[in-house]
Amino acid sequence: MNHIKKILIANRGEIAIRIMRTCRELNIKTVAVFSDADRTSQHVRYADEAWYIGKSPSSESYLNIDKIIEVAKRSGADAIHPGYGFLSENARFAFRCMHEGIIFIGPSPKVIRQMGDKIEARKLMSAAGIPVVPGTSRPVSTQEEALKAIRDIGLPVMIKAAAGGGGKGMRLIFKEEDILEALRASRSEARAAFNDDSVYIEKYIVSPHHIEFQILADQCGNTVHLFERECSIQRRHQKMIEETPSPLMTPELRAEMGRVAVQAAKAVKYTGAGTIEFLVDKDLNYYFLEMNTRLQVEHPITERVTGIDLVKQQIKIAEGQKLEFAQEDLHQTGHAIECRIYAEDPDNNFMPSPGKIHKISEPLGFGVRTDGYVFEGYDIPIHYDPLISKLIVWGNTRDETISRMRRALYEYKITGVKTSINFVERIMNNENFIRGKYDTHFIEENQEQLSNKKDPENCEDMVIIAAYINYLDKLNRAEENRKAFAPAQSRWKKMPYINHF
Amino acid sequence: MSFEIQINNRTAWVNLIGQEGNILKIEVDGKVYEVDLLHTSDGSFSIIEDGKSYNIELVPGNQPKKYTAHTLYDTYDITVIDAEARYLINRKSNGTESSQKNIISPMPGKVVKVLVNEGDIIKAGETAIIISAMKMESEYKAAVNGLVKKVNVSEGDAVQSDQILIELE
Repeated sequence: MNHIKKILIANRGEIAIRIMRTCRELNIKTVAVFSDADRTSQHVRYADEAWYIGKSPSSESYLNIDKIIEVAKRSGADAIHPGYGFLSENARFAFRCMHEGIIFIGPSPKVIRQMGDKIEARKLMSAAGIPVVPGTSRPVSTQEEALKAIRDIGLPVMIKAAAGGGGKGMRLIFKEEDILEALRASRSEARAAFNDDSVYIEKYIVSPHHIEFQILADQCGNTVHLFERECSIQRRHQKMIEETPSPLMTPELRAEMGRVAVQAAKAVKYTGAGTIEFLVDKDLNYYFLEMNTRLQVEHPITERVTGIDLVKQQIKIAEGQKLEFAQEDLHQTGHAIECRIYAEDPDNNFMPSPGKIHKISEPLGFGVRTDGYVFEGYDIPIHYDPLISKLIVWGNTRDETISRMRRALYEYKITGVKTSINFVERIMNNENFIRGKYDTHFIEENQEQLSNKKDPENCEDMVIIAAYINYLDKLNRAEENRKAFAPAQSRWKKMPYINHF
Repeated sequence: MSFEIQINNRTAWVNLIGQEGNILKIEVDGKVYEVDLLHTSDGSFSIIEDGKSYNIELVPGNQPKKYTAHTLYDTYDITVIDAEARYLINRKSNGTESSQKNIISPMPGKVVKVLVNEGDIIKAGETAIIISAMKMESEYKAAVNGLVKKVNVSEGDAVQSDQILIELE
């Protein structure tokens, strides 16, 4: 068994800090890596060591395998945690770590490659007896092949990129005559995004739920599931709110899908933490969608209801330790919801909104957790994901959790950039969400209620008064000259006055 | 001292009538309020009016005298109109409005592709430039038919918000 003493976190933002928190609890030293844009980022300041790895675009820093391996060796890290995104599902990187004698905290390069190719994954799962969405078992390149597939499967269908992810290369088809154009567009988008234009055709499940199961598997062949996460609230095929337990789930279906998820993981000799994603239709038929061979963004809701630190388990498994619990030891206690807080403008088609955080006050109190990384004066870079933080709330029941989430969102204040805080608050007040009646079309179908931004406070005159006083105050201050010294050029927020009321 | 404050589409006239410590008497468009007001120098306001507590935050915009105000549920665009601002507004309304023709970046990002060259004719609705920010690409289109007079950026350039990318005439 290898005892890990120092971990390099090949990531940035909230997930880098999330991982370092667990390392600190385990008394493991942490090594941060950073690009030009991240010199003042929180993960650099939290870690024991921080090493520069290149320019701001991720292709020149967080995706630079050679550089990251070089830093791991120079800093003496014995393991690398890839987080999510970036190199987390890159088989070449996992292989390189293995080759260099560095522990990659994740599954084997072989499994990453198998599950990364969506066609291959479908084949393997089918062979293991896991229900998959009806579709082609080979890449489709000609119109004839596509037409034949459509007639076999039945419309509507979805064209998807084999190397896919993030909604890139996806095309929905309702009519046979649309096939040629959709096929061309899908392949061209797939080539641009993944440098691989293989696409396949799958039956389009109408009004599906997106439900995933968390898996943990050690190197001794023990595999358990940590129940489901309901991830149907999405915009642009990206998740926005997740909860567990799923309002759709029955105890019988949970037991069955959990068993199937474990079977799927065992079929590919999976090790570490992983997620099996399913589509579930309204008649509770479920189909394997894909397997994510890494930690998920939404993992904290599972941690909250099971009491198990998934990053800690990942590290223990990577060290070669046996799982300390069996399936029957695991239980879901209460209910957990996660809201993702993005730097984006929900009232303008979710356009990203990078920029400087003017002020931030995060929610606290019973049952509330935030996994974030920004602070006052921090400039959210344009180069990376717009996720600011994840707000995770726990309650005894779903109703209590929703009320607590509303309370936490009331406390959550970020100014300087636009955020999705108000938007998710409207979701928490949506009748259909409260009743647990929603599928992946929720945001489109409830647009009217969700775009209602009427201010119930009606305090326009108070805002005018504030602006007026602020300006008068500035005029007063301009009279006295307070330029005691000119600080060096700095990206830190300047605080010339002590703030007190 | 009285002046005007523009809030979204409304222009309000404000005047401080009296002050006793943090208790202020202020007139807004003819209505007199007595408020208990405390604030920090960087724009956090606590106002109590008739027993109701309001928290307002003013965030400076990229021009002086412009702010975004945040309340519990809403945000407002604010411009303080003093004598100088009044003068500038009057002068601007006499000149030509060229800014609507030009293609301007609404947020910071990176130029992915410039689809036009200087001297090209571009039709309204045609994409002139693609900008990426936070993993998302956005296409910017010409608002009116026109001639590409000047292209100020090239592929790979970083751009700021409100920067003129392409000038049309």
